[in-house]
Amino acid sequence: MAVAVEGGEKWFRTCDVTGFKVDLRAEKIARLNAVMAVVSLLIAVIAALLLVLTRWQLFHVLPVDWYYRVLTLHGLDALVFWIIFFELAALTFTSTAFLNTRMSSPFAGWAGTVLAIVGWLLVNYTILTGNADVLMTSYAPLKAHPLFYLGMILFAVGALVIVTTFFANLMIWRRENPGQSLPLFVYGLMAAAIIAVITIVSGAIIYIPTFLWSLGIIKDIDPGVYKLIWWGLGHPSQQINVAAHVSVWYLITFLATGGTSINEKISRFAFILYIVAINVASAHHLLVDPAVSPVWKVWNTSYVMYLAVFASMIHAFAVPSAIESAQRRRGFTKGLFEWLKAAPWGNPAFSGMWLSMIIFGFIGGITGVVNGMEQTNIIVHNTLSVPGHFKGAVVGGTALTFMAVTYYLIPLLFRKKIAFYGLAKFVPWIFGIGIAILAVSMYILGAFGVPRRHWDITFSGGPFTYTFNPVTDFFWALFGLGGILAVIGALLWILQVVVSVFFGKPFNGPQDLQIPIAEPPPPAKEEEDKFAAPGTFTLVLLFMVAFIIFVALNYGWLSAMWEVK
Amino acid sequence: MAILPPPEGWFNQKVAKDEKIWMGLAFVMSLFLFFWMIAWHVYAKQNPSFTTYKTTPEEFYALEQAFVNKYKVGEENGIPVVKPPPGSDVFILARQFRWEPVLVLKKGEEYRFHLSSLDVLHGFSLQPVNMNFMVYPKYDYVLTFRPTSAGEYRIICNEFCGIGHHMMIGKIVVEE
Amino acid sequence: MSEERKTPFLQLVFDDFILLLFIGVAVYAISYLIWGLIELAWLPPIPPEIKQALLGR
Repeated sequence: MAVAVEGGEKWFRTCDVTGFKVDLRAEKIARLNAVMAVVSLLIAVIAALLLVLTRWQLFHVLPVDWYYRVLTLHGLDALVFWIIFFELAALTFTSTAFLNTRMSSPFAGWAGTVLAIVGWLLVNYTILTGNADVLMTSYAPLKAHPLFYLGMILFAVGALVIVTTFFANLMIWRRENPGQSLPLFVYGLMAAAIIAVITIVSGAIIYIPTFLWSLGIIKDIDPGVYKLIWWGLGHPSQQINVAAHVSVWYLITFLATGGTSINEKISRFAFILYIVAINVASAHHLLVDPAVSPVWKVWNTSYVMYLAVFASMIHAFAVPSAIESAQRRRGFTKGLFEWLKAAPWGNPAFSGMWLSMIIFGFIGGITGVVNGMEQTNIIVHNTLSVPGHFKGAVVGGTALTFMAVTYYLIPLLFRKKIAFYGLAKFVPWIFGIGIAILAVSMYILGAFGVPRRHWDITFSGGPFTYTFNPVTDFFWALFGLGGILAVIGALLWILQVVVSVFFGKPFNGPQDLQIPIAEPPPPAKEEEDKFAAPGTFTLVLLFMVAFIIFVALNYGWLSAMWEVK
Repeated sequence: MAILPPPEGWFNQKVAKDEKIWMGLAFVMSLFLFFWMIAWHVYAKQNPSFTTYKTTPEEFYALEQAFVNKYKVGEENGIPVVKPPPGSDVFILARQFRWEPVLVLKKGEEYRFHLSSLDVLHGFSLQPVNMNFMVYPKYDYVLTFRPTSAGEYRIICNEFCGIGHHMMIGKIVVEE
Repeated sequence: MSEERKTPFLQLVFDDFILLLFIGVAVYAISYLIWGLIELAWLPPIPPEIKQALLGR
């Protein structure tokens, strides 16, 4: 597999577990980005605890100005910095190590990383000094300090530079391996990188004029134009996550169970659908907004006739069926679900991935479609249901997946043994169950009309009062419980990562491997015209039924509202 | 194998029966969702509107003031109470940190709501019916409402608009 | 034999990440960004009859 590469041995080490040639220069860049990701997550998690204990008004710990400040901090560190830094690490590492190729430009990699870190510092600094109390979306004409926008621009430019090196690495690989197809995992990350280009360019288009406006050079930013283009950054940045975490699902499936997509063409086709159609769905942030027409809304919010939802449903079959077919070939063929029962549940990467698939699909995915349908958005927009949805999609989906795969990255990227490995078995469950409870309780609170981004839902100081349905008290308690559980899970994970990476025992080869890497299963017997994965088929049908019921319930409920046109 | 290039001929591999059936179902579901939204526009009674006008904060403020003066019936906590005739244009102004005026409407009648803001973005959240729309400065969003239930309703601001965001609450009364 | 087995055209499309990058950017730019901005730019002003009814001018 190894190919002759320019640069010779001094750039590379050969991984003693996987046999890959690892470009040491890329590895260092990836490591720094991964560390930045974990630092951002730590900030986000501490902020999250304060926010949970403020919105649960039994405690109400933060004063009003600090609530919005910490909310801004949490939003950016959790939804942007933690995840993008992690993805930059993944892009750099996979486009070299997994392709046995070299880093196209280590200088560009470092330059991008430094720019992103400077941007990260500026944004965090302006927020914490009270100069950017504008929340993550920073909707103009709310105005922050110019350094805040400058920080966002620097971060975006840095990220774009690294994404460019990713494509350059791919070009080198293509030159060295003409006519070959990318490995599926890298292919998925390639889709993520394309989405990232769209995201970052949109961010630049809107943040540069906004920066000039905050300096007084431009007189005016139109609020409609701002919101339209900003969401070209805001939501696609989460679509990068979807493509990235689905790719990681395929990776973990292979590492933990030896499973391979039963039809790579189908899986790749689904990634192409993401590339084509997923970004336009940013429109679902403007469904109940003035200005854009219902024609534009329906066409774009539906990912061009739900092609991206179709793609996700393809992955929903492809990933579990990869596990199922590998397990069945090992002889776990009894009934519909023996393969699942006999899956490596003690492997934290596997259990984390499985939980994230369930949470992403049943909570994040179903609610996401309903939130993003033009009419049902009326009963969801800006209620607590919205963060409830993306707790399921981004935290339960992406963050949990990234946490799960980190158990492989500690030995293979950082060359360290995992500290407190016995704990790792429990961490995905604590975090996953916590997030699931949090997401569901937020979604239900939103259905009672409770607004998101709101310091005091007793409206103290206002001209009128309003009391939400008393049932909400129960869900606030559940919200607090889920939130605290998730914070504990995340902190345990961060503790493990930090201790392993900075104080851990060195990893000296396969004998030090704590987390198992599965042997490939025996080859399949050719059997025509039989179901390849009946258990998975049953599970996805169950998903479809839940999906239809949820859509129907919401439209039924909507039809009882006041009439509006 | 997810981490190695696919085997030769991967592109021509046959799709398994169950994967094929599932893809068919998923595609039908996707198309259904798309056409459902269009059908709801045609047949159902809750849809975001087709109408927005360009305006300025000054123009919208003048219109709202004139609207208040024309139909004012009282005042509550410093906010004018207005009872417009059914079928009329109704102006609701959002500003940091209040909604004005208070509206008195008749159940079952149509009103053309004009929503706009004097300063930043606000969120128009009608409770407890839980219908939510965005309010921008410089854009006049026209929504034709027909209240189908009587009682006292609140307008909560659910888009962050500044430090006093949580105090921003308005009122609509619907009479039988 | 090797002359017979040409790579299918669609596989070339699947593998061409630069082409996919171009398609992805183009769909987004046209369908979401440009179309959306055109709609924002073409909004009408408040009709004079509505203004006249309230302001009398």
